[in-house]
Amino acid sequence: MTRDAAWDALVGDARIVVCVGTGGVGKTTLAASIALEAARRGQRALVLTIDPARRLADALGIGELGNQPRELPPELHRRLGLPDGAHLFAVMLDMKRTFDDLVERLAASEEARQRILANPIYQQLSDALAGSGEYAAMEKVYELLESQRYDLVVLDTPPSQHALDFLDAPRKLLEFIDSRVVKLLVHPALSAGRFGFRLFQGATQRALKLIERLSGIGFLEDISEFLLAFEDMSAGFRDRATRVQSMLLGPEARFVLVAAPSPEAARNAELFLTRLEATRVPISGIAINRTRLWPGGGAPAQGLRCDDATISEALETDLVRLAEALDPDAQPPVEGRHAALAALAVARQYAGLVQLDRDSTSGLRARARRLGVAVRDVPELACEVHDLDGLSLVAVHLFGSDAPDERSAPHRQEV
Amino acid sequence: MSVPMPFPVSLPMSLPVSLPMSFPMSFPMSFPMSFPMTTEIDLSLLSRRIIIVSGKGGTGKTTVSTALGLAAAAHGRRTLIVEVGPTEHVTPLLDPGGPAAGYAGRELRPGLHVLRIDPFLAVSEYIGLQLGSRGPVDLVLRNRALRQLLDGAPGWRELITLGKIWYLEQSLSPSGAPLFDLIVVDAPATGHGVSFLDVPRVVQSAVRAGPLARNAGLVERLVRDPDKTLLLPVCLAEDLPARETGELIERMRDRVGIAVDRVVINALPARPLPDDLSDIGERLAELPPTLDLCVLPEPPVLTACASYLTSRHALAEHYVGVVAELTGLPLVGLPFVMGGLRQPGALDRISEALLTQPQSPDEAEPAANDRVHR
Repeated sequence: MTRDAAWDALVGDARIVVCVGTGGVGKTTLAASIALEAARRGQRALVLTIDPARRLADALGIGELGNQPRELPPELHRRLGLPDGAHLFAVMLDMKRTFDDLVERLAASEEARQRILANPIYQQLSDALAGSGEYAAMEKVYELLESQRYDLVVLDTPPSQHALDFLDAPRKLLEFIDSRVVKLLVHPALSAGRFGFRLFQGATQRALKLIERLSGIGFLEDISEFLLAFEDMSAGFRDRATRVQSMLLGPEARFVLVAAPSPEAARNAELFLTRLEATRVPISGIAINRTRLWPGGGAPAQGLRCDDATISEALETDLVRLAEALDPDAQPPVEGRHAALAALAVARQYAGLVQLDRDSTSGLRARARRLGVAVRDVPELACEVHDLDGLSLVAVHLFGSDAPDERSAPHRQEV
Repeated sequence: MSVPMPFPVSLPMSLPVSLPMSFPMSFPMSFPMSFPMTTEIDLSLLSRRIIIVSGKGGTGKTTVSTALGLAAAAHGRRTLIVEVGPTEHVTPLLDPGGPAAGYAGRELRPGLHVLRIDPFLAVSEYIGLQLGSRGPVDLVLRNRALRQLLDGAPGWRELITLGKIWYLEQSLSPSGAPLFDLIVVDAPATGHGVSFLDVPRVVQSAVRAGPLARNAGLVERLVRDPDKTLLLPVCLAEDLPARETGELIERMRDRVGIAVDRVVINALPARPLPDDLSDIGERLAELPPTLDLCVLPEPPVLTACASYLTSRHALAEHYVGVVAELTGLPLVGLPFVMGGLRQPGALDRISEALLTQPQSPDEAEPAANDRVHR
């Protein structure tokens, strides 16, 4: 396996790596492996997960993941071959806490802070409702980078449909703060003491009245009060959202698309690629996780095709030879024949899986080639990846290694 | 426009577990999982009004929703599959290359309709219904400032989507019978799935009174009605999906109060080898690494194939036990189908398995970690 400049750059000059992709493809694992590789190269690296990835926490020996970064204990460094000065941290996003911290940081006074934290709209917005996690994640990344304590922050994002909201989150928030509706809701309340819809003319007035009628006024009052309370920190918020956005689109950010070799996941990855292109987010690489590769490299022989049930003459010769080898003392080798057929069956079955993965990702691969984006396969292992050795192995496959490594053989026997 | 396609009304009774299409006839390729697979049919799923199919991303929610829709329609239920994401997945599966179902919906098999709820269209329909005219709808939707407000505001998409599902459940055909006997919802992935179903409650705690709170209350009552609404969690026999399913069910029971009576485990691999040959990998490993074979790969590669398939099968069995232990619910296993869902008969096989009696896994199967390495 060779090194690849595009992948090397992820753990070279990037300060933030964002792993995007649909759910269930292994983003958390790959994000952790990228952070691990950066640590191996002597950096202070941190992985930020969205899920309470308990196995990851166990694997990293850090008990439970929380809102504050925890470091991999030094006694595990040697086992991972981490050089002096390397550090590996993990942290889990706590949306509610992240928003609360932000309010704390930006509120002009204690009173304003209390008003916001007690507002029902704020409580729901920051905690329970879907879709507000994306901004919180970006905010957390910004806070972590700003602390100057990490060379690289690797971010595992929420699953797909929302991951683009996520790229859009700072812009949406800015638009929301700046929107006319917010101004309309806030300023009349300031000047008239209650909804001064009469101050406004035309379509917007009528539309607001309609919303009032359909939703119940209490809701609008809460929104209005929330925005009022929010207003005195909106300049700070706007400034911050702008910086978060430029960090995302800046030269120090890299995006890795994580895909899986199922037809659905590959199709979703292609859709994703299309949308990312449309938003002009450059993709540094595509990792196809858990690809079934043919052991020893290359492709299975034509005669092993899964949809070919016949036993050709050449295959028959092989079976005879294998049966004799497996059952050398019997003549004829009846049991050996049975075993040889079983061997053929597993080979065909596995060849079928290899072909399946190849077929389901061919469109994605062609697309990546046209775009000049590097694709890496992380082979599916016979074992599961949720310990340090598993993560190391994934890192070896992602980044390649200079020396041939016995760990890189697919299907390392573990069970 | 609909494209009626033949679909067997009575399902074949045999249930082969997950197999590649064809293999040498001289060697039996199918060895059942030790997880009890049954051919006993259970139609209780089809007596619900709404089934919300949920689970971690990549577990096959769309597959299960589609297969369930097909099964229900095959049993004579007027069925609707509702998609809630920004892109349609069910229609391409049932009618590759065909037009999108969209908000108006399409009948893709006799008695099987599919539609996708676009939250903006649903809001527009809702306002139109409330006011009895469409004029104000455009007033709201064409207003840039308000669209921005909607774009930035969380929660309303979920609420209006559930509201539309409630409306569809209430809808009657001209004869006075319900328009649909069964509505299958292909819900968002787990994390967002909980928020999705929790939104009516959240809205009611944020909005004190008025039509919005009232409507949220109606939706919440429907979601919590165990006679009408069922959550059908879909899971894979793997580590993270198993754990997340445990958490999903716990949160759904605690927070949303929705009924759950079984867990679907999708894509179960078949036992790759018969018991008397389970050591074939080791035996092959003892052979000289080169045997001068021509089509068959050399012994080390054969060993790798056998070891991969047997390890993965053992892992799957282990996690079937884990899911049963974490959820305390009976399970329905679906076979892994080699060659993809678009091949003829693949979805029918899944439909058939979906309607089998839920089973508790073999108690002899230890769920403890010691059987399979960590």
